[in-house]
Amino acid sequence: MIKIEHLSKRFGNLEVLKDVTVEIKTGEVISIIGPSGTGKSTFLRCINLLDRPSGGSIRIDGVDILDPKSDVPKVRQKMNMVFQSFNLFFHLSVMDNLTIGPIKLLGMSKQDAEHKSMDLLKLVGLAEKADSYPDELSGGQKQRVAIARCMAMDPKIILFDEPTSALDPTMVSEVLSVIRRLAKDGMTMAIVTHEMDFARDVSNRVFYMDEGIIYEEGTPEQIFDNPQKEKTKTFINRIRSFCYHITSPDYDLYAMNAEIETFCEKQILPVKTRQNLILLVEEMLQICNPLLSTILLDIALAYSEKKEILEVVFEYTGEAVNLLDKNLLPDELGLTIIQSVTESIDYSRLDNKNRLTMILKRV
Amino acid sequence: MLNLCMKYRLLFFVAGCLLCSGFISKPLSSLDDLKDKRIGVLMGSVHDRYANKKYPHASILQYKSPSDLVLGVKSGKVDAAIYSYDELMQLLSNHEDLGILGDALFSTPIGIGFHRDNNELRTEFNRFLKHIRSNGQYDTMIRHWMTGRAVDMPAIQKSATGKPLVVGIVSDNGLPFNVVINNQLVGFDIELLERFALYSGRQITYRDLEFSNQIAALESKKIDMSAAVMSITEERKKQIAFSDPYYEQDANMFALKKNIVVKTVASTTAKKKESISFFAGVINSFQSNIVQENRYLLILEGLKTTVIISILSTLFGTLLGSVVCFMRMSSNVILNLLAKTYIAILRGTPVLVFLMLIFYVVFASVNIDPVFVSVIAFGMNFAAYVSEIFRSGIESIDKGQSEAGIAMGFTKVNTFLFIVLPQTVQRILPVYKGEFISLVKMTSIVGYIAVQDLTKASDIIRSRTFDAFFPLIMVAVFYFLISWFLMLLMEYAERLANPKLKRKIIITA
Repeated sequence: MIKIEHLSKRFGNLEVLKDVTVEIKTGEVISIIGPSGTGKSTFLRCINLLDRPSGGSIRIDGVDILDPKSDVPKVRQKMNMVFQSFNLFFHLSVMDNLTIGPIKLLGMSKQDAEHKSMDLLKLVGLAEKADSYPDELSGGQKQRVAIARCMAMDPKIILFDEPTSALDPTMVSEVLSVIRRLAKDGMTMAIVTHEMDFARDVSNRVFYMDEGIIYEEGTPEQIFDNPQKEKTKTFINRIRSFCYHITSPDYDLYAMNAEIETFCEKQILPVKTRQNLILLVEEMLQICNPLLSTILLDIALAYSEKKEILEVVFEYTGEAVNLLDKNLLPDELGLTIIQSVTESIDYSRLDNKNRLTMILKRV
Repeated sequence: MLNLCMKYRLLFFVAGCLLCSGFISKPLSSLDDLKDKRIGVLMGSVHDRYANKKYPHASILQYKSPSDLVLGVKSGKVDAAIYSYDELMQLLSNHEDLGILGDALFSTPIGIGFHRDNNELRTEFNRFLKHIRSNGQYDTMIRHWMTGRAVDMPAIQKSATGKPLVVGIVSDNGLPFNVVINNQLVGFDIELLERFALYSGRQITYRDLEFSNQIAALESKKIDMSAAVMSITEERKKQIAFSDPYYEQDANMFALKKNIVVKTVASTTAKKKESISFFAGVINSFQSNIVQENRYLLILEGLKTTVIISILSTLFGTLLGSVVCFMRMSSNVILNLLAKTYIAILRGTPVLVFLMLIFYVVFASVNIDPVFVSVIAFGMNFAAYVSEIFRSGIESIDKGQSEAGIAMGFTKVNTFLFIVLPQTVQRILPVYKGEFISLVKMTSIVGYIAVQDLTKASDIIRSRTFDAFFPLIMVAVFYFLISWFLMLLMEYAERLANPKLKRKIIITA
């Protein structure tokens, strides 16, 4: 249905998309994943020409939409978009948000449009909000209305630009289940997302984007369980990791602890492990504290589901010294506590950096 | 402590001011007593020049109209003022608290002003003057207006056809020359002018201008002749041409009677007047300022003009403002620069100056309705302000809104019309409302280009009643009411533009 060849896009000197060649077939659900800033959203926005590509061609059902003669607004009616920030029309009620397109663009009668919109609102579970205004809805409700608004135009494909990134964690699932429902109904969709589990079970194909191209593509199983290329591997591994940089003694302790908690929740780690982890980090920071004004400290957590191993890595700059060397510590209290919660502690020196790798005890 | 001290100082200062403004230390017995006092004059008049020359140590205060001059004397803002003898005599008959100080200061010939190139009209007028002097008409007029102090116009046939003759007058000049009674212009000058119109077969119309604007109006050919009781001076002759003198006028000094040393004791009637209760005073003022001579018609007419100018300028300004806003937001460098320049110039010039520029310079020698000129000037000014309001309104709408519209398949124009515009309107209305109200009040300066609006109507009434308090308060109240009413209308529009409030209206209805 959509055939994209050698698509490129640059903003000034910055080349965001280099050479993207890909085809999307009717009925496919495609997830686009990858690190931030690699052009995932730009790619999506280029497909419906919200950002005009710098080169290449986009053919929809054989028609080149980059041809100046083509009626772009008409093409866009067939491929609507769901935005990260919802972008519901603030001055219109939920019902009017859904009907404005069909009435003004498709020439539908008000009655038919409202009838159809009501069905769509029922589908996304928001029929009772028909008379509300966008600012009276929660984020999840807004995004569901936005999806229904897309559907009202009877599109052939829906482009989702990080549909859950602006949502509270509690509202992510209500939006995802609506998208799952559409996938089941056979809707063609391209979804830029950071929800890996969702990408894994909803899509037929996954594009991993990096370096301005589609770096690796394949079925969810191929990409998530058996990635072939180096960068894809690192990315997939890093999904299961957490990293925090400390550059001064005035770091935000509470923000860091909150992020560690979130990481633990995501990985569904037991409460005891979580407590041990925080204890470990606290003791370690206590030891590092006198040095923080002179060194840079990185804390990395990585969890391997298969091996059920939680690895904690402290990487710091400065002279080659093992901070946990018994002889250098004023007392052994901190070290004792750390040893009590870890299985192993290894010191190594890599690229002029000191690295302490610890594996947390299982509980 | 310091604060308290300051407070007392302020108190003394205010008290001092009150004392100074109300009384003068020593009564005046002769003209020489004025040499270090405050003297009021009409701006740009021969009196002005005389006072400056004769009393170099006195402070000379210039007033715009005779009514302001009289009020200046009455409220003690000046110790004495110079005015023309004939007008002064009329005035004194109505104002017992004023008196003439000393003898006539000087006398000057007065004449009608013409554009320097308009010899034809001037010669014709001079011929007319000779004609009425020889057939006794002139003497009859002098007897009627000057000696007889009449206030009624003899019936003069008016020609409805013929060449137009636009005459600049100063409607608040005062009797015997020119004044508004029963909403009609009457006076010696008016009779003279109408007889001349009849004599020369022309169709006469009047433009009511400030004295200080008469010469500018002649030069820009806004008016064909100026009858403003203008003294013929060498200096003025450099700019305009004068007819033969048609009257010789004395100038006298006048002051509050109680400040002039006189032999007779202050009259008892004045004391009686003071004992009138406040309410009776208000009723009296109401009588003289509104009911007498059907003055309310003047006010209604002014009110109508004010409202018309306000509404038309708003409409024109909003349209023009939209265009300027479009240019300002366009990516075309030239359009953008044009809009920026327009906004900078219009916002950087006082409206009054701009209004006069448009009237006397841009539309010079074009016969154009001053109301129309006002609408253009205020509209252009309004446009500069609202275009920026529009721009900030449009720019405040989240980019995602128009992106969503475009992604849905709307064209850029339709996205603006259906999505961005309704939200912009909703956002800018509160600021727009304020700008609109300030425009309404700003129109009070149109009197400068001979438009008779609410403020000018009150000036005309003041020139007859010499009552400052009542007409000014009344006009203030009227402006407030207009603003208030228009604000209510705008608030209703605001409700309609806001969908949630609109929903409430529908539900409660």
